[in-house]
Amino acid sequence: MNWNHVRAILARMDWIMIFAVVALLVIGVMFIYSAGYRGEDAPVASFYERQMLWALVGGFFFISTAFMDYRRLRDAAWWLYFVAMLLLVLVLLVGKEMYGARRWLTLFGLQVQPSEFAKLAALVVVARFLGRPGRQLDDPVKIFQVLSIVGVPFLLIVKEPDLGTAAMLIPVAFMMMFAAGVPLKHMLILAGIGLLLMPFGWFLLGNYQKERVLVFLNPNRDPLGAGWNKIQSGIAVGSGGFSGKGYLKGTQNVLGFLPRTVAPTDFIYSVIAEETGFVGSAILLFLYALLLWSCVRAALVARDRFGRLLAVGVGSLLFCHAFVNMAMTIGLLPITGLPLPLISYGGSFMVAIMIGLGIVQSVYVRRYHE
Amino acid sequence: MVFRDLFSEEHLRLRVLYGLMVAMFIVLLSTLWRMQVIGGSTYQTDLVRQSVRRVRLPGMRGRIFDRAGRCLADNRPSYCIAIYLEELRKPGAWSRTIERVDALIERMSAILEIPRQVTAEDIRIHTRRRLPLAFLAWRDVDEIAIARLAENMMGEPGVDIYIEAVRAYPFGRSACHLLGYVGRAEQRSVDDEPYHYYLPEMGGKAGLEKLFDGVLRGEPGGRLVRVDVSGFRYEDLAERVPNNGLDLQLALDLEIQEIAERAIGDHPGAAVVVDPQNGDLLAMVSSPGFDLNDFAPAISAARWNELLQDESRPLMNRVTAGGYPPGSTFKPVVALAALENDKATPQTSFNCPGYFMLGRLRMGCWYARGHGVLNMEQSLEHSCNVYYFRLGLQCGFEPIYHQAAALGFGKKTDITVDYEIPGLLPSDGWKRRTMNDGWRDGDTCNISIGQGALLATPIQMAMYAAALANSGHLYRPRVVKAITDEQGKTVRSFPPQIANELKWSATTIRTVREGMRDVVMAPRGTGRLAGVPGVNMAGKTGTAEVGRKEDGRKLAWMIAFAPYDNPKYAVVVMVEDGVSGGTTAAPIVKDIFSSLLASDKKAGDG
Repeated sequence: MNWNHVRAILARMDWIMIFAVVALLVIGVMFIYSAGYRGEDAPVASFYERQMLWALVGGFFFISTAFMDYRRLRDAAWWLYFVAMLLLVLVLLVGKEMYGARRWLTLFGLQVQPSEFAKLAALVVVARFLGRPGRQLDDPVKIFQVLSIVGVPFLLIVKEPDLGTAAMLIPVAFMMMFAAGVPLKHMLILAGIGLLLMPFGWFLLGNYQKERVLVFLNPNRDPLGAGWNKIQSGIAVGSGGFSGKGYLKGTQNVLGFLPRTVAPTDFIYSVIAEETGFVGSAILLFLYALLLWSCVRAALVARDRFGRLLAVGVGSLLFCHAFVNMAMTIGLLPITGLPLPLISYGGSFMVAIMIGLGIVQSVYVRRYHE
Repeated sequence: MVFRDLFSEEHLRLRVLYGLMVAMFIVLLSTLWRMQVIGGSTYQTDLVRQSVRRVRLPGMRGRIFDRAGRCLADNRPSYCIAIYLEELRKPGAWSRTIERVDALIERMSAILEIPRQVTAEDIRIHTRRRLPLAFLAWRDVDEIAIARLAENMMGEPGVDIYIEAVRAYPFGRSACHLLGYVGRAEQRSVDDEPYHYYLPEMGGKAGLEKLFDGVLRGEPGGRLVRVDVSGFRYEDLAERVPNNGLDLQLALDLEIQEIAERAIGDHPGAAVVVDPQNGDLLAMVSSPGFDLNDFAPAISAARWNELLQDESRPLMNRVTAGGYPPGSTFKPVVALAALENDKATPQTSFNCPGYFMLGRLRMGCWYARGHGVLNMEQSLEHSCNVYYFRLGLQCGFEPIYHQAAALGFGKKTDITVDYEIPGLLPSDGWKRRTMNDGWRDGDTCNISIGQGALLATPIQMAMYAAALANSGHLYRPRVVKAITDEQGKTVRSFPPQIANELKWSATTIRTVREGMRDVVMAPRGTGRLAGVPGVNMAGKTGTAEVGRKEDGRKLAWMIAFAPYDNPKYAVVVMVEDGVSGGTTAAPIVKDIFSSLLASDKKAGDG
């Protein structure tokens, strides 16, 4: 790879996407700092420092992936998938247990959540499967094949248990099928069957999950227990008002009403909304919309179906996490432990999503020439 | 061709997919708008409700002074041992912290050699209701315990000495009924309680402490505290400094009060000294009394029950809350009524054979051998009952009733005490209402010697005596002269108030006053035992029968004033279960006057 080649790739990159990514990363570090702030005299929790490190590591993976030709993933897809499934099995066997779930593997001294990478691997395989030229997509069997591809990681992740993360695979798969051109009729029938089966799913939920759903329906059901986070998050967001209380001026997390364990992670959006108000919350939404547009644009100009579906898959994954997390924060969806992409504190998802965006960038760089 | 079509449909699907995503973001945006812009204030209120607490800070209670500036009700520092629970917080459930604090208190109790004053339950209540405030494990401990604490436990985390103001009454039992006492103020009901953390505060429970509670208590301050999720104080948002209460300047003279208290001793009864020139209440004794310091900082249940169950009723203020038949001390009223209404003259004379026949009813004079012929002055000197039966009948009930009413009988004096009864001045209407019977001559005879249904309070008698002393001004008793602030500046003053002006003719009042002078000064006057050598004074004794006739219980009364020509003091003494006014009450009056005049002389010399 010579210097000219590098220059050519840089010139063809989507700088709007890079702008959006950097902006979100900066906001993330800023508000993880704020979430760790305990008043003037107290030391700030050090999460933000590690988040900066994760952002740099993520940036490295992003650039590396962008320079790599995404078409090489087509051959590696199944290998990646098998490795990911192997890691998921390993988690269940030797994973580190925290908060009653086995989600973490210790690799080279680092805590890694294989489920985040498994989602990425699954969507690469789905892209390969649906992207092969000449596939007869109006054959209903194809749908079931796609569902089997995501079904294996789904079940393995549910077993950890981490229903929220596992559940993300389903809408992502549907969005990819939709983009690939699977007849709407088939998808609607399948979605209908899925909805009909939903009530039976109730019996598969753990007690805490049932509680979360019940609390979603009626937050005052257990205001000091399961309903606490939802109520406190609502108060944080609502009391932010139009323009917010100002950076570091939010009280909900300083005073601990927003539990300190979730403020920098799942409920980071609530900290942002309290301190920056409607204006800041809307800016964040706009940045995500911009990032999603970059993914869709990459899909539109992709030189082949595999690239297009990769971009759609990553975009969908990003959208699903962002939407579910924000909707949960403002009380539109039950509480699920999903991170807010690029913002929430945490390494695995950060690296996974940065790799994903690197793939999209790679697709864009190698776009179809007019 | 097929390829391109497929592509364009895929492009369309991608755009639809992006459109859907944006649409869902718009759903989020509109929810944010609803929560943050439209509903923001509601959430803001919720936020304040859960994280901002108001703490009430009581103001220092005002003091009470006598007319010479002696402090009768003061505040003294009381040493408390405080534990700051926040500093001892253990992670996890509160019960662990409570256990730790409980163990600490147990250990301190052993080291300081003082018994525990609080239970684990008290600690638990404190953690729930006023966590940011110091928890007082011991209140009002002595210097020895404080010294032991300083020696052994300084540097112990969370333990500190806390000084609290406690009410103190330097003169203990003196004027106990008038001053009253304080107790822990009741906390208002939870609904209208604007303070989350309530500092128990002293409120007046009786006497002036109760009546002037609003003045003495002052204005509590407050502090806004932001607390975190565990209730710990995070920061103070605002503070309003409490204002100290105002002081009361009484008309009471502690020296006179003590003289009167000594004179009456422990015997159940009452004594009042007023200044006849302005109605100032110089002394007010109701015996037996109680020690006000028993109530500070809080009275024990045992002592309280003891006071409540004591048959001599030490908690009752006999001066204002006790109604007694005035007996012969009422006779001057009858004389005044008869003279003023031209039913009699100073020369009107009746013969006393020792008894009086009302129809077929024989009514005896207290002097069975009979007083013989007496004129009006002599009738007072000897307190002849027969004279007053006949004078009363000659005068008729109506004028007596009006004269008595004009002198304040049957009506509250409006003295500023927390409880006063009006006594009872019977009338025809009253008798018809209560006994379904009209007024009869027998009733007139009874009231003429201060018996029957007639009841008066010692304070009424004092003001009546003062009106006789000053020849016609019935004052409202003045207890409080002024309310002053911390700098001694008068905030409000209470000038003397005249309740009624009695327009007696000069002859009328001279006759009655001279008769009363003979009571004390004449060698055979019924009140001669009250006489202080060298002092020209006047008075009237009374012996009233109370309860059932068979019990033979008697109240001994005496009203008196001196010096005769320009009276400085009017005194009333009432003793329950005495022998007679002349033998039981008169010597007490003498005690009071001799001390009063001796101390006046001393003051004059100085």
